[in-house]
Amino acid sequence: MKANSAILMTGLRVLGAMALVAAIALVLVSRARMLAVVPPAGPARIPVYYWHMWSGQWQPTMEHVVAEFNASQTKYEVIPLQVPYGSADSKFLMSVAGGNPPDVMAQWTQAISTWSQDGVLQPLDTRMTPAEKKFFLNDTYPVIHQNGWYKGHLYGLVTSVDVYACYYRPDQFRSAGLNPDRFPTTLEDLTAVGRKLDLKDGAGRFTRLGFLPSNFTNYAPSFGGGFYDPATGTALLNTSANLRAMTYLVSTSEVLGLDKVRRFNSGLKSQNGASWPFIDGSFSIALDGEWRVKQLAQFAPGLEYRVAPLPPPAGGKPLASFSNTGFLTIPAGAKHSEGAWEFIKFWSGLDHPAKAAKYATWFGWLPTSPQMAQSPDYAAFLGKYPQYKTFVDLAASPNIVTTPPVSYQLFLLDRISAVDDLAARGALTPTQALMKLESDTARERARRKELGYDQ
Amino acid sequence: MVSAKKSLVGYAFIAPWLLGFLAFTVYPFLSSLYFSFTRYDIVTAPVWVGGANYRALLTGDPLFWKSLGVTFQFALVAVPLAIVFGVTLALLLNLNLRGMGLYRTIFFLPSILPTVATSVVFLWLFNPAIGLVNRLLHAVGVTGPEWLQSPVWALPSLVILSLWAVGGSMVIYLAGLKDIPTHLYEAATIDGANAWQRLRHVTLPMLSPVIFFNLVMGLIGVFQYFTEPYIMTQGGPEDSTHFYALYIFERAWRYLDMGYASAMAWVLFLLIVTLTGLLFWTQKRWVHYEG
Repeated sequence: MKANSAILMTGLRVLGAMALVAAIALVLVSRARMLAVVPPAGPARIPVYYWHMWSGQWQPTMEHVVAEFNASQTKYEVIPLQVPYGSADSKFLMSVAGGNPPDVMAQWTQAISTWSQDGVLQPLDTRMTPAEKKFFLNDTYPVIHQNGWYKGHLYGLVTSVDVYACYYRPDQFRSAGLNPDRFPTTLEDLTAVGRKLDLKDGAGRFTRLGFLPSNFTNYAPSFGGGFYDPATGTALLNTSANLRAMTYLVSTSEVLGLDKVRRFNSGLKSQNGASWPFIDGSFSIALDGEWRVKQLAQFAPGLEYRVAPLPPPAGGKPLASFSNTGFLTIPAGAKHSEGAWEFIKFWSGLDHPAKAAKYATWFGWLPTSPQMAQSPDYAAFLGKYPQYKTFVDLAASPNIVTTPPVSYQLFLLDRISAVDDLAARGALTPTQALMKLESDTARERARRKELGYDQ
Repeated sequence: MVSAKKSLVGYAFIAPWLLGFLAFTVYPFLSSLYFSFTRYDIVTAPVWVGGANYRALLTGDPLFWKSLGVTFQFALVAVPLAIVFGVTLALLLNLNLRGMGLYRTIFFLPSILPTVATSVVFLWLFNPAIGLVNRLLHAVGVTGPEWLQSPVWALPSLVILSLWAVGGSMVIYLAGLKDIPTHLYEAATIDGANAWQRLRHVTLPMLSPVIFFNLVMGLIGVFQYFTEPYIMTQGGPEDSTHFYALYIFERAWRYLDMGYASAMAWVLFLLIVTLTGLLFWTQKRWVHYEG
């Protein structure tokens, strides 16, 4: 009896200890939940939780936009939360899976279609009033209103557009006996000019490359290429235009020497900010995005440079560029989606383009509509940074190519990058590379079809 | 009766760990087996697809075979080299020299440095044009390779990097060496054994359980090799460092193909179990336990 009683007592102690552990855990969890959802003190407005990835110098700028929205509101209050870019996607997806997502999510990953198919995002077009829809479809630039769609619905509203143009160094043009006022008008001429700007050391190694075209996605649009057939709604990859683009890239590097080019590239500083090789003169002409204008003003204010659109090859398209776009989205399960939509309209300029132009200038973003481009704020910005004009022209161009709105977007982008690498290294010919791209993608499509995914 | 009481107390002490183990290891482990037979994107409910994921893996995914091949190549070279370097280093650091504690600390330090930081430093060391490695080679008249940018040299570069952290296993070998009874060496010396013979017939056999342990752990480790290629090469160039774990990550978190990634994880698990089983089967022939 005594022994049984001792066991009983021990058992009770064990249960008591476990109950204590469980109670502490419950308190901690509930406390954490409280901390997560309690809005900061302020007027009793409906909170709109907004996750974004802007850090460093850009975070205060973004929070300034939020402050402007909050100042304009009596109903909603946007509460921003900076999420580290490297883990933003996984945190976001887990929040949707867990049923507690933010109300607005900024998206830089080109995966709107994939996530729309997976039910991660809410359609936005159904929230538009007829007037808003009319403005959006008729008055914004093609790259704005043609992106973010999946299966007939808009899931991401484009707020920022990156396009590419040629930065070039007049000082190096002059020292090579070239006239910087006469930038080449064809890609063939540009390539020839690039060779005149090359410099080598005594051992035959490049110390400067005049112009080094690389990155298949950036050049395919100028050749009339692309990656999507809107008529069939499928990826279109192995085309004659794409083949011409890839052949051009490979042949240009071959002329220079693949090995020499790789070694030259590996000796460059990073591509970031002040380390951009264009600044130290490693390249005389560089195809790059509009964000470099503000970076150059910050990191190399005395540098003389100009910007021109990439000239098209014979039979190609002018004012063409690949573009990555940034979106604002409303996740599935968002608790305050009406407030989220108000914030998206405010920032994107859907309800007041001229006002939104001011925010675009803070970030150095391109305008999304002619109304925005012609606003006083944006005109003043262009006066300060005249090099942006080329990018504004590009943003308005119908020849902008973006990530195809297929449901396997990231897989496709990764495969394009992989075959680009294989061709650039001479491991595959451009023809073989595009055939491989086509077959890899077809295999993935077949697999997804077997699994029952949307095609 | 007393033992039952002790058992209950014991379970109470390990209850926090046990609950965590059940919730965060056993449950996800078994769930992943179920997910491997589904189409699952983590947001919507999984849809049963039978063996479609496994079928696609084995018959229609060249990158699956490529990543498996890369991982096997790495394992075949990196694991034996880690053992050779670890044992050699331990033997050297087992000598009775002045300041040995300092040397041991120096060689152990790299293994406790963050992998991410080490990877970034090695990115620069292996830079073909301005990296320290090629500069040193150049100083002795050798033109260094393109290391991480060459499909031929990228994998060997990662093998070299893996040896940088060999100090972790070296400490275990060192402990094993300290455990070898001195009288065995004395007996061998009296029998006329020279240094090589003492190493070959006393040290290595007595160290074999430790070598076996490091072999098994090393093998499991390389099949989960992820951080270094993720940071340094992202699988390139030309998929020459597209490790299996990296491909699982891409499928799971980049393409939201959790079912497919789960199937890949289970194939990996079965491979590791099989290879570990094979190693255990071979140990009868070469691992010598005291007593």
